[in-house]
Amino acid sequence: MRLRHHLSLLLAAAASLPFAASAEDAIKIGFPIPLSGPTAVYGEPILKGAEMAVAEINAKGGVLGRKLELLSRDSKASADEAVRLSRELIIKDNAEFLLGTLTSAEAPAVSTVAKENKIVFIAPSAKSTLLTDAAHIHPYIFRVASNTDVEGLAGASLMAKFQDVKTVATIAPDYAYGHDSATAFIAALKKVRPDIEVVDQQWPKLGEPDFTPFINAQMSKKPDAVYCSLFAGDFVTFAKQAGSLGYFKAINNRLLDPGEVGTPDAAQALGPDYPYGIIANAYDPVIWTGAEPPEHKKFIEDLKAFTKTQYASGWSANGYELVVSLAAGINKAGTTKSDDVSKALAGLSFDTPVGKRSFSVQSHETFAPEYWGMMVKDPNYPFAIIKDPQALPTSFPTN
Amino acid sequence: MAPSFLFSQFMGGLTTAMFLFLIASGLSLVFGIMRVINFAHGSFYMIGAYLAWQMVQWVHPAGAGFWIAALFAASGVAVMGAVIERLFFRQLYGREELYQLLFTYALVLILGDAAKFVWGTQQLSVSTPPVLAGSVQIFGTTQPLYTLFIVAIGPAIAFGGWLALNRTGVGRMVRAAQMDREMLDALGANVGTLYTGMFVVSAFLAGLSGALVTPIQGIVPGMDVLIIVQAFIVVVIGGMGSFWGTFWGSVIYGEVLSFGILIFPGFSLFSVFALMAVILIVRPWGLFGRPL
Repeated sequence: MRLRHHLSLLLAAAASLPFAASAEDAIKIGFPIPLSGPTAVYGEPILKGAEMAVAEINAKGGVLGRKLELLSRDSKASADEAVRLSRELIIKDNAEFLLGTLTSAEAPAVSTVAKENKIVFIAPSAKSTLLTDAAHIHPYIFRVASNTDVEGLAGASLMAKFQDVKTVATIAPDYAYGHDSATAFIAALKKVRPDIEVVDQQWPKLGEPDFTPFINAQMSKKPDAVYCSLFAGDFVTFAKQAGSLGYFKAINNRLLDPGEVGTPDAAQALGPDYPYGIIANAYDPVIWTGAEPPEHKKFIEDLKAFTKTQYASGWSANGYELVVSLAAGINKAGTTKSDDVSKALAGLSFDTPVGKRSFSVQSHETFAPEYWGMMVKDPNYPFAIIKDPQALPTSFPTN
Repeated sequence: MAPSFLFSQFMGGLTTAMFLFLIASGLSLVFGIMRVINFAHGSFYMIGAYLAWQMVQWVHPAGAGFWIAALFAASGVAVMGAVIERLFFRQLYGREELYQLLFTYALVLILGDAAKFVWGTQQLSVSTPPVLAGSVQIFGTTQPLYTLFIVAIGPAIAFGGWLALNRTGVGRMVRAAQMDREMLDALGANVGTLYTGMFVVSAFLAGLSGALVTPIQGIVPGMDVLIIVQAFIVVVIGGMGSFWGTFWGSVIYGEVLSFGILIFPGFSLFSVFALMAVILIVRPWGLFGRPL
């Protein structure tokens, strides 16, 4: 017993050492994000991007002379867990800011914690409009991600270009994001092409292992084109099953997907089975054919070195933006008091590897456009890449 | 509604059904005969998928090594099952279900983390083996060869399982163990080895189904938990410990899901759960089970 007691004392002492050694006055940033389960495929690269930004900023002396310190925790993509962790990070770990969360389930839940504790919270990827609409907006919530209205506008503008399309169908996961996504697309499409008829809508559940019945049901309605909001593992499974059923051939590859399946992450997973010819998007296409901005090129080089991977992830830019925008806000405010940082962030413009962004004064949204294009074969890569990525939509509400 | 469409919907349901059956058959064996609630069965399935992917990378990334990979994955999971049974499950037979539940749930978490540690969080995918990559036209519908292969393999396993259980000496022992384990033990049969053997067969089937699913599904962390609930549903619908029960339970599940989405497009899972509720009210022991 005594030995065990001594051991535990030793361990406790060892555990506290790093804290004693690092500057006591580091700015602590709570970072709840899924690091296990099916959504960890996004969580990990987002965290990596944030870690790289922190390393870069700290190498230049930090913010207001203080280093940044990320306290990352596994939210398991659960709203309850994300809320519990956020409270713990604020109360126990003295986090001064919150960044992170992934899904449209977690982000609105953490937003209420941020509101209660008057702590600035910036979300990297949740797209539901519920996060910042009139009923839910408060001074401390910001978002660098796009939202479903913005992606719907982009999707509708691309669909409108198919002159001969008379009927469309949608397929989207059966939860908040999927429904918001399909609804926003149809609303936007009605404005630009009122002649197009919606002939079918399928709602497979999130994580559906077998899309065959949904695919067959949709093909039987013979749509000319499809708006498909499936993403990540769901898209991989869907694409394989739909491909072998002749689905993409039946719609002439006229499928638009707003779920970031244009990233190398998704393309690598499918390899040669990727449905070439569909139109997909990404916040960061990573592999940029055509005129690549030099800052993007440098970012990807740095990211590859930082993560020690051959091809960088299309999600790290979102994590990077979180830290860059927060640091810019703190610098502008000249203090880490959340009330002042919140005021500084509203209307603030900042540079990202994928273009300039600014937080709207009213809705705290960046209305981030995404890079869209046709997915094509490229002899230099063993997976599909976006051809000539184009930032869309080109115009959107700016309130 | 066009007949060709009904046919493709029927085939879609059948594919779902046969995949579920491949997974649930092993679960049914352990759950129905050994009375062990093995939540980690889904994890065995997931490990099978990852092992198959790994072997395909080593042998031949283009997909020619698929069959070797499938066999490797199934055998690998079977060996893992043997070790786990010998070391851990052995302590749990005859104990309260709560212990089994806690232990197998712990296994789910451990294996899930282990898979993440080895293969990361990135979604992975295996190409369809070239022999079965094409498709055929039946009644004006496109039917992938791989799907037809799966639809054929399901009944084969059901028939093989039925033969083994009902027409062999070992099968007789297994059925005896289901009825009265202690009596069989007292009669001098080696029940311990018998249980290990059954567990290994169950793990082999889980690993095999995990490998066979890779050409038509993405491999992602969490696929273990998603599948286990469905597998338990078909075992319960069909009746515990009956191979044919699990088989028909899977067929009903697949077809109800497939045609249910035509009737209630917004509630794809509603019809399946409604069906399960009705069956459990009318026949709590399942379609092919015996009243307890």
